[in-house]
Amino acid sequence: MTIRTVRPNRVQHFRPRTHCFKKLEAMVVEMQDPNSGVKGSEQKLNVNTIPHVITGEDVIAWITTKMKTTPEEVQAFGTMLVAYGYIYPLQNHKKLVMCNDTSLYRFQTPYFWPTQNWVAEDSDYAIYLAKRNIRKKGMLEPYEQAHYNHLHDWLNHKWDFIVMQATEQYRAGKERKKPDRVVFDCQERAYWIVNRPPPRTHSAMDTGPERLIDPTADEKITFDAYRRMNLFYQQAIMRSKVKSSVSLGALAKYVTTYKNHDPFLAPCLPSNPWQTDNDTYWTYNMRRVDVPTKMRVERWSFSLFELLSDLRGRDDFKVFLKKEFSGENLAFWEAAEELKWGTASSMPSKAETIFKTFLVPGAPRWINIDGRTMGLTVKGLDHPHRYVLEAAQTHVFLLMKKDTFFRYLKSPVYKDSQKKALNPESHSFSPAQLEQNAQNRSPGIHPIILWQQEEEEKAKAAVASAPVDIKAMMSKIDRKK
Amino acid sequence: MGKDECKTMLDALNKVTACYRHLVIALGSTSDSQNLREELKRTRKKAQELAVANRTKLTSLLKDKTISKDDRAEYERLWVLFSSSMELLEVDMKRSLEIGQDFPLKVPTRHLIQTGMTGSTTTVAARAMSVQNMKYEADSNIDTADLRDLQSEISHVSQMMEEMEMKVQVAPWAVEAKQEAGAELKSNMSVGNSSVGVISICEEEPKDEEGGGNRDAGFASICAVLVFFVIVTVALVLGYLVINMS
Repeated sequence: MTIRTVRPNRVQHFRPRTHCFKKLEAMVVEMQDPNSGVKGSEQKLNVNTIPHVITGEDVIAWITTKMKTTPEEVQAFGTMLVAYGYIYPLQNHKKLVMCNDTSLYRFQTPYFWPTQNWVAEDSDYAIYLAKRNIRKKGMLEPYEQAHYNHLHDWLNHKWDFIVMQATEQYRAGKERKKPDRVVFDCQERAYWIVNRPPPRTHSAMDTGPERLIDPTADEKITFDAYRRMNLFYQQAIMRSKVKSSVSLGALAKYVTTYKNHDPFLAPCLPSNPWQTDNDTYWTYNMRRVDVPTKMRVERWSFSLFELLSDLRGRDDFKVFLKKEFSGENLAFWEAAEELKWGTASSMPSKAETIFKTFLVPGAPRWINIDGRTMGLTVKGLDHPHRYVLEAAQTHVFLLMKKDTFFRYLKSPVYKDSQKKALNPESHSFSPAQLEQNAQNRSPGIHPIILWQQEEEEKAKAAVASAPVDIKAMMSKIDRKK
Repeated sequence: MGKDECKTMLDALNKVTACYRHLVIALGSTSDSQNLREELKRTRKKAQELAVANRTKLTSLLKDKTISKDDRAEYERLWVLFSSSMELLEVDMKRSLEIGQDFPLKVPTRHLIQTGMTGSTTTVAARAMSVQNMKYEADSNIDTADLRDLQSEISHVSQMMEEMEMKVQVAPWAVEAKQEAGAELKSNMSVGNSSVGVISICEEEPKDEEGGGNRDAGFASICAVLVFFVIVTVALVLGYLVINMS
């Protein structure tokens, strides 16, 4: 057996959103032109003067003359230059934005530019942290210290190398003159702030999943590709389309209904767990909670689909239907769902039980669907497959939607739910509390426990539903008489 | 002993790798120049010589089946050090090729990035080559000629690393490091003291560093001024006495 260390051949995997780098590099090189580029000045620091420092306003002015667009776009472009690491700020080094005032910036050396091919590696980061440790005499920032300990754990086999290399690089760095040393420290620090951002800052280096095609390479479109494109477009022209007034109207209606429920557009009550590390929101919205939240209850009123998709809403609906003694539609719908999503081996037996319980004339929970659908379904059940009950299920769904759903919304059950619903207040955490929350994150409920709860509930429901069938049958027979 | 020889050679390779990285970081910026390209070339050659020497030594040591288990663990550790150095060197060489191609020196309108670094890197290269002063003798088209050499050298190095992996069976994850976390702090007592007055640009960086440097410098200057005044008063007193005497 040959032991091969995994030496990644990064040339084969391209990060797709980074193909703007070639254009940005060309622009940065243009900025260096002594006549038409950005004018630099000098910075005085104690006894040293360091040249080539630029102000934010100069950069923004240069971009405006070059690109000739609106001020907002120029501002955004400048901030992207800083966020990607081509220019780094000198004064507020953790905040990577371009300010349109006299704040000072400097260009980054090409080795530290973001590139398509070279990712910032963990072993390099470990060497940098070790060097910083030496320079700061052990006082690293808390997030850096956390990274350092983590890297010491999992890069342990290379740790000797990392320590040796860090000390050597530190000593070699001392061979340069003082102003150059200062600039080098700033450059390295800026590079690692871009590539290993401190907590709770945004990073421009988030890219999508890696691709196998180089986005910067030119693509030759073959004759066959053109032929297929033509076919595709010809077929697309012949398809019937929805009028844009209709589709845009539907989109506008959707947005107005759902805009308060979207966690990006409206604040999540009590607080968004991904941002504040506090999972009250998830505990309030669990599957089997006694009192649902107001937002959830409001969502049930939007459509029958929302009501049935939310399992807690389905329970509520079931309670209502039990009072009305018309639970067979929902039971059939649920059984059809189970058939659709269940295992292939259980399908024949499930189809049998469904047939016997719901479809046979005189069955205990006979559903009232029209003759044609009933005929199709019964014929299909001879050779049951996953979607035999699709037509019947749709019909039942429409029956529920047109009739039962609106009665439910006006019923005391729903109004009761609305009154009792929780409306939690939003948290407002201070940054210290946020840090604490981040450290006290718990793993949450284990899925096995949730599954066990589900099984218990199902067993209870099965036991409870058996006697009701007989009662329903009896009452039906009485009514028929 | 074989081990000590190995260790000294590895230290040398380590030093050269660190210096090479410093040189590559200066490529393309305003401290780039003809001299820098030549320094890169020479450092690279030295690194390759050291690499070949290290490799032959370590392979011969590891192939020996009669060594004890502790010795073998030690050699595996040295092997991991060596291969990590070589990986770093290979990446730096590839990057220097890219950056060298993007920033040629002999074009009429050359735009080197104004990074603020203006000094030369002679001292770093001298450290790498272990000489006192560097002598430059390259001709003017070093950047293009050098890049061709560099490409062949990169392929050479990659080949060498492939061969290394084939011939020697060392599991790098099984090696335990001898240094614990924070070991770099202990080995740098003298280096730390000499960095009095290392300043930082950002105002957020601890002001006590700057203040410490200033305080020390201020204290020293006050001492010097006091001593000066003492000497002047002594001279005046002596002069007065001499005048009185005569």
